[in-house]
Amino acid sequence: MLEIKKRYVIPGDVIIEGNYRPLMNVIKKDNIIIATRIGIAESSKDGIKVIPLSGVYIPRINDIVIGKIIDNSSLSWEVDINACFSAHLPAQDVFGRDFSPAKDDMKKRLAPGDLVTARIITFDRTRDPMLTIQEKDLGKISNGEFLKISSTRVPRLIGKRGSMIQTIEQATQTRILIGQNGILVLTGKNDEGIALAFKAIKLVEEEAHTSNLTQKVKDLLNVSEEVTQTETNNSSVNNEDYVNNSNTDNNSSDMENDHSSNITTESPKEVQPN
Amino acid sequence: MSLSKKSPIVIEQLRKRQMFDLITNGKRLDGRSLEDIRDLQIEINIIKKADGSAKVRLGNSEVIAGVKVETGAPFEGLENKGALIVTAEVLPIASPYIEPGPPDEETIELARVVDRGIRESQMIDLDKLVLIPGKIVYVIFVDCSIINADGNLFDATSYAVVAALLSTQLPIFEIHDEKVVDTGKKQEPPIRTIPVSITSIRIGNNIIIDPTAEEEACMESRITITTNSKNEYTAIQKGSTGYFTLEQIKFTAQTARVKAETLRTRLKELIK
Amino acid sequence: MDQTILIDENGKRTDGRSIDDLRDVKITIGVLKNADGSASIEFGKNKIIVAVYGPREVHPKHMALPDRCVLRCRYHMSPFSTDTRKNPAPSRREVEISKVMREALEPAIMLEDYPRAAIDVFVEVLQADGGSRCAGIAAASVALADAGVNMRDLVAACAAGKVNDKIVLDINDIEDKEGSADMPVAYLPNLEQITLLQLDGILTESQFNECVEKAIHGCKMVYEIQRKALIEKYFGNDLPEGEEKELEENKEN
Repeated sequence: MLEIKKRYVIPGDVIIEGNYRPLMNVIKKDNIIIATRIGIAESSKDGIKVIPLSGVYIPRINDIVIGKIIDNSSLSWEVDINACFSAHLPAQDVFGRDFSPAKDDMKKRLAPGDLVTARIITFDRTRDPMLTIQEKDLGKISNGEFLKISSTRVPRLIGKRGSMIQTIEQATQTRILIGQNGILVLTGKNDEGIALAFKAIKLVEEEAHTSNLTQKVKDLLNVSEEVTQTETNNSSVNNEDYVNNSNTDNNSSDMENDHSSNITTESPKEVQPN
Repeated sequence: MSLSKKSPIVIEQLRKRQMFDLITNGKRLDGRSLEDIRDLQIEINIIKKADGSAKVRLGNSEVIAGVKVETGAPFEGLENKGALIVTAEVLPIASPYIEPGPPDEETIELARVVDRGIRESQMIDLDKLVLIPGKIVYVIFVDCSIINADGNLFDATSYAVVAALLSTQLPIFEIHDEKVVDTGKKQEPPIRTIPVSITSIRIGNNIIIDPTAEEEACMESRITITTNSKNEYTAIQKGSTGYFTLEQIKFTAQTARVKAETLRTRLKELIK
Repeated sequence: MDQTILIDENGKRTDGRSIDDLRDVKITIGVLKNADGSASIEFGKNKIIVAVYGPREVHPKHMALPDRCVLRCRYHMSPFSTDTRKNPAPSRREVEISKVMREALEPAIMLEDYPRAAIDVFVEVLQADGGSRCAGIAAASVALADAGVNMRDLVAACAAGKVNDKIVLDINDIEDKEGSADMPVAYLPNLEQITLLQLDGILTESQFNECVEKAIHGCKMVYEIQRKALIEKYFGNDLPEGEEKELEENKEN
């Protein structure tokens, strides 16, 4: 495997010299790979990248995000996705092709303040991100507790094949909707569970880069046994939902690739207290 | 608040390529070599109502400087010195890209850099311009109006200020019964040194001197260096959003010193 | 020639430093909760706080640039920051410093990564004591890294000057007022590029060379402080033994 000169990096640090491929948050100058952000440098067969530890969410096509409706024009809603740009949700996406501002009341369907789970369908250097909610598990979020974390911590919160988030969900009996943009919505059986889940999430956010985080979280949640990967009755989690295209490099840190993860969520069901 | 802006001048790609090709061969679009300064023309005493004035044409950049001498309170902290205030304004007549209005950051920088070039070199011996220490001193205003902008306004303006000051006929004020009176007689200004400013820009790895507006639109960084009659450095300002290496800084400093000497001789001729 | 004695016969300056000593510098990161990135710096008696907001949308929209972000930089002094109260309205000096600061930071930022967006850098001087623009740039660079803005390098900054005919590092307020030259410099330490250089004062050619080199040396000292602050904030004391060693070794490279 490639040997990296530094693991923890700040902008300007030389990561490695040689003809490697620069992947993410690095630049190549005269055969030297230089970090451009604070984070953890990692190498794989594809090249060198830095997993960032800070920064606002930059939208990516196909990301699932949780956004807040801010306003609407006659043809689309403006959605705050906690990113450097506002996103747009076209009215046609919700009302269909024969949408007409005269007969269809946009505010009745989605009003300012409403939260939606959406997928980013377009975004490039020339225009703002555009969303859709017309797919399975997308749509308006009708209940739950709202939480915002740094988007750079989302991969760590999800964990390898969803292990971290499932650990938290099962231990606290909650359902946690996660947007790649760092917005979370929690629902749960009881308030204590929800409060404990919040604590666990905060812990992950603060200590995402540390090496024994998984154990710390388990200790917090008083979890002793291994989290099983099979479906359980009261959890409506679908394991395929949390597949990460992570690299198989065993030497890598606990931080996951955040590049191509595919999160789908279901609309939370009403969870009845026992 | 300072914000990054695009240059208003869009240079045709063909012309840019032409410019870069020539530069790598040591030449420029107007035929000059990289170190040549444009044709410099200086006229003095063109504004009769001013105590001193000069019009400078550096290539197509044109600046008029006017000197007005008054009396007033000294600057805070400098009670035993006369006051010298240099201002500059790029007039809307100077270029299609100038909007009338309060000075923008480029103009403020220009005015302050020219002012510092004159002030830090101590061109005028301000100690000799005190009437009542701490209360009343000579106040010399040098105001510059840039009337045509074609690059390197820093140097053009600086030469106009120097020429205007060198050729000023300073009124002689006296205090009679605690009031300031203009005796009607004139004196030579107390000149200690002649500061000369030389501006260079970096395009790629090349340093070129006295840029035109076109060249400035393609520059990566700029540096204005002022030296005095003893060839000492008195004011420097790096400008624009690029960088210089240490070697490039030393090179521009060296070149500025040498070029300034030749220009200084010309400016000296203005003193009879 | 400065009349005041600013360096005594033992080579000690007014604040007890020798001619090559940097003032005490302390950087704290993440001090403002609302900002995307922030840092405060104490550089000698200078107290400065910097907030970075962005990348974020540009308002008004027509100011956006299609292929890169707009960097907006504001240097502002609080009225109580100087010996004599300063009028809160922006002075021409603040306008100029805002400009040279922006021009010192821009070369380090990868502007093309954020088209149509803006990155705002607000530098507030709470107390000034000579060299505030350098301190501001050093803090701004750290705040930009804290905000996760892509940068080719950090920007370090430090001034050198001439006092009693000697070239000294990092001049303070008295030395600035009474001395005979002040040269602030900003420097990208890994790329070795100078992005700010100004001079007021009088220097012979050899003094000029000595001054620039001394200022760059000061920048490198400031860089070590910036780097240490970032590493402590982000990677904490959690570095396992092995990693710490690795970082130490690499410092010597």
